[in-house]
Amino acid sequence: MSFEDWVRNGWASQHKSTREEIERLLALADRDLASCATTGLATDWRFAIAYNAALQSATAALAAAGYRASHEAHHHRVIQSLALTIGASRELIRRFDAFRKKPNLSSYEMGGTISEKEAGEMAAFAADLRQLVERWIREKHQEFKL
Amino acid sequence: MEQIASAFRFARRPEYPAGGSIKVNLSESCIHVSDTKDPLTIVTRLDTIVPIMSTAFAGSVLSAALFGQTRRAILALLYGHPDQSYYLRNLVRTAGVGLGAAQREVKRLSDAGIIRRTVSGNQVFYQANPKCPVFGELKGLMVKTAGVADVLRAALAPLAAQIRLAFIYGSVANLAQRSASDVDVMVVGEPSFGEIVSALGPAQETLAREINPTVYSLAEFKSKLKAGHHFLSAVIGGEKVFLIGDEHELRRLGAKRLGKPA
Repeated sequence: MSFEDWVRNGWASQHKSTREEIERLLALADRDLASCATTGLATDWRFAIAYNAALQSATAALAAAGYRASHEAHHHRVIQSLALTIGASRELIRRFDAFRKKPNLSSYEMGGTISEKEAGEMAAFAADLRQLVERWIREKHQEFKL
Repeated sequence: MEQIASAFRFARRPEYPAGGSIKVNLSESCIHVSDTKDPLTIVTRLDTIVPIMSTAFAGSVLSAALFGQTRRAILALLYGHPDQSYYLRNLVRTAGVGLGAAQREVKRLSDAGIIRRTVSGNQVFYQANPKCPVFGELKGLMVKTAGVADVLRAALAPLAAQIRLAFIYGSVANLAQRSASDVDVMVVGEPSFGEIVSALGPAQETLAREINPTVYSLAEFKSKLKAGHHFLSAVIGGEKVFLIGDEHELRRLGAKRLGKPA
């Protein structure tokens, strides 16, 4: 499966990305990574913020490749696109997708469904992904001069 | 129809989220699934999909002691998917049983009213019978012994030494499940969420269902139970199907308010 297939399937569209846009996405990821390290945050929030950071990093990689994910199943597509951008393993994608499926704040009325362990893993995952994405853009997309 | 249903289950795997209409073309050896959103052609022999299902019925000590092999496989299939009906050849193939033995079993089971036999055109369909007086009990028995629980138990087995407690909760545990229900699994112990996701990955494909694990360390589980954490209290108070450990173990970890025995 290539990005050409993705475009044909309506999963992504071509997009002319700029250096500013990619820097902004990575800055958002950094902001969220810093926020989720705040002490005293509820576990669910910590998890949600770290998840958002990871999603921004994946979106940055996709933008660097010259694409944008469709609105439909947006998070799912952004996560799956990591195989085509940074060459993420099936394992990494499965893990990220499992995080995506965790009941989140907005979908679960009772809240408190995320354990400390899971929030910690989500934050570590997001921090690692942030590094992987930046390294990949520097190596493969030097036109953005990161 | 069941071939189409199998194809749908296949197409419902996480890589191909539902959406758009799905066209299924059946030919002798291939299923071609094409989604208007996600065109994909799965050139897979039908019988390479089906045996994956039959592993769901393998290796169950409890159900093997209770039923003969063929009866167990048929009950596990029909009561594991109570909203679906199967014609005989399809039932034979999906459950991985012999034709002759299956014919005898479906006759006995439908004569007893445990399964329902319906004729449509020149096809005979079999389905779990919701009017059977022991429908709920049999369904529970199959979920706990020959169906989902068995597959999950096997998937967690390599990590079992590090797991103190694992159980299914939510719609599958309280038997409100339909075939498409996600399976909610609580795990308490040392493995990370990532390790549990990896261990359960193949089971997710076998069962063609989403499995959503929640993983707690022992310390956090105990302290949240003690503090009367609302999500955990609701889970503990609801129905559970134990995969590793039991109600007694749960009590030892500090669960005060016990639900009905699973």
